[in-house]
Amino acid sequence: MPKPIIIVDDEAPIRELLAEYLGGHGYRVMTFAAASEAERAAQAEAPRLIISDLQLEESDGLEMIARLKAALPETPIILLTGVLFDPEVVRTTISQKVSAYLEKTSSLGRILEEVRRLAGPP
Amino acid sequence: MDRAIRRILLFFGLISAVLVGVAVVAVRNINRSAAGADWVNHTHAVILEINGAVSDGMEAEGDLRTYVMTGDPRDRGAARQDLARMDEHLATARALTRREPAQNAEVQALADLEGRREALDARVMAARAAGADAAERVLVAGEGDEASLAAIRQAAGKLTDEEMQLLAERDTVAYVQAETTRWTVWIGVAVDVALLLGVAWVIRDALAARRRAERVLQDANAQLEDRVRQRTAELQAANQRLTTENLERRWANQALEHQLRYNLLIVNSISDAVFVLTKVLNISRINPAVVHLTGWEAQDLVNRPLTSVVRLEAGAGSEPLVDPLNQALKEGRDLRDQAAVAEDRRGRKVNVSLTLYPLQDKDKVVGGIVILRPREAKASP
Repeated sequence: MPKPIIIVDDEAPIRELLAEYLGGHGYRVMTFAAASEAERAAQAEAPRLIISDLQLEESDGLEMIARLKAALPETPIILLTGVLFDPEVVRTTISQKVSAYLEKTSSLGRILEEVRRLAGPP
Repeated sequence: MDRAIRRILLFFGLISAVLVGVAVVAVRNINRSAAGADWVNHTHAVILEINGAVSDGMEAEGDLRTYVMTGDPRDRGAARQDLARMDEHLATARALTRREPAQNAEVQALADLEGRREALDARVMAARAAGADAAERVLVAGEGDEASLAAIRQAAGKLTDEEMQLLAERDTVAYVQAETTRWTVWIGVAVDVALLLGVAWVIRDALAARRRAERVLQDANAQLEDRVRQRTAELQAANQRLTTENLERRWANQALEHQLRYNLLIVNSISDAVFVLTKVLNISRINPAVVHLTGWEAQDLVNRPLTSVVRLEAGAGSEPLVDPLNQALKEGRDLRDQAAVAEDRRGRKVNVSLTLYPLQDKDKVVGGIVILRPREAKASP
C-alpha cells in the first residue's frame, strides 16, 4: 500500500474537496481537522506529503509544521492557506518553514502540480 | 431456406433418383436373367429328352435287327423296352413343351413317327415267327417309309437345331441384358460420384462463403468494438474533464467563500466602529461595533450618507464639516484621529475619534474606510 498524503484543515469542505481530487488522481489521502490527530497519524505511518492550513482546530498550522518537520525531516510539507501573505514574507519566512506555499485561491491543477513535484506520481 | 442447403437437397434428390433408377433396372434385368436361365434349363431338358428318345430308338433298332437274326426272345424284349423308354422320353418332351405350341407340335409329330415305328417293329416281330427272311423283308420294306429311324432322327435333329437356335438367341439376349445391367450400374455410379462431387463442391463453396461472412462479421464487430472503445474513452475523458472542472469550480467557490468569510471575520472582529464608504461617502457596509455604538442596524445605514451618523467637529466655528473627508478621499490620503460626533438611534451624541483610509484599487480611489473610536462617553440631549 502506498504511503498516504495527510491533509490538515479545519474546514471540512476543503478537506473533502482535496481528498476527492487527489484520490481521483490515484493518491491515498488521510484528512484531519485537528493538528494532534494529524501528528498521531503521521507518527503511526510516515506520510509521503503533508498539506496543512495555517489555521487549525486547537492549534496553529506553523507550529504543527515545525513539530512534524522535526519528527519527519524528509517529508515535504505544503502550506495551503487562505491567509494571503506578502510575497516578500513568503520568500523570507514561510519558504524556510515549508516545502511549498500555496494560496487557497490556487486552482486544484496547480495544487496537483506541487503534489506531483514533491510526492512524485501516485 | 438457405440457397446452399436447397442446392444440396437438390443434389441428394438427384443422387437418390439415380440410385432408384439403377436399382430398378438392375432388379428387372436380374429377374429377366433368372427367367432366361429357367428357360435355358427347360430347353436343355427338352433337347435331352429328344436326344434320349433318338438314342433309345437306335438301341431298339439294333435289338430288333438282332432279334430278326437270332429270334431270341430276350432281344425282342430288349427292343420292346427300348421303345418303351423312347416313348417315355417323348411323353416327357411333350409335357415340357406344353406351353410352347410350335415345339409341342413338333414333339407330337415325332411321337407320331415313334408310334408308327413301334407298329412297324410289332409287324417285324410277328413276321419273325414265320422265319427270319420274312421278318427281314418286313423290316426292309418299312425302312423306306416315313416311320424309318432315319426319318425320326431327321425330325429330332430339326427340333434339336431349332431349340439350339433359340438357345443361341436367348444367350445373345442374356448377354445384352448383362451388358445393359453392367453399363447401367457403372453409369449410375459415375453419375452419383459426379453428383457427390457436386455436393462436395456446393458444401465447400457454402463453407467458404460462411467463413468469408464470418470474417466480415468479425471485422465489423472488431471495428464496432474499436469505435465503442474509442467512444467510451472519449466519454470517460469528457467525464473526467467535467468532474475535474466541477471540482475546480467547487474549489474556487470554496476558496472564494473562505476568503470572503475570512475578510468579513477580520472586519467584524475589530471592536472599533468601521464604515465602508462609497466614493461619495455613502455607507455600503458596517461592522457589528457600529451597531453597538449607534444602535442602528446595517439595513438602516446602508446607502445612507455617513453624515447621517457622524459629523466632524468644527474647529473654531460651529458648522458641521464633511468637506475634509471628501477632500481627503479625492486626494487619496489618510485623515487620522479627527474629533467627531456620532449620533445614535435615540439621538444621543457620542464623541469619537475619526480616521479615514481611502480604498485604493491600484491608483484609483474606489471608496473609503472610516473608523470611529470613542473618545469619551458624553451623553447630550
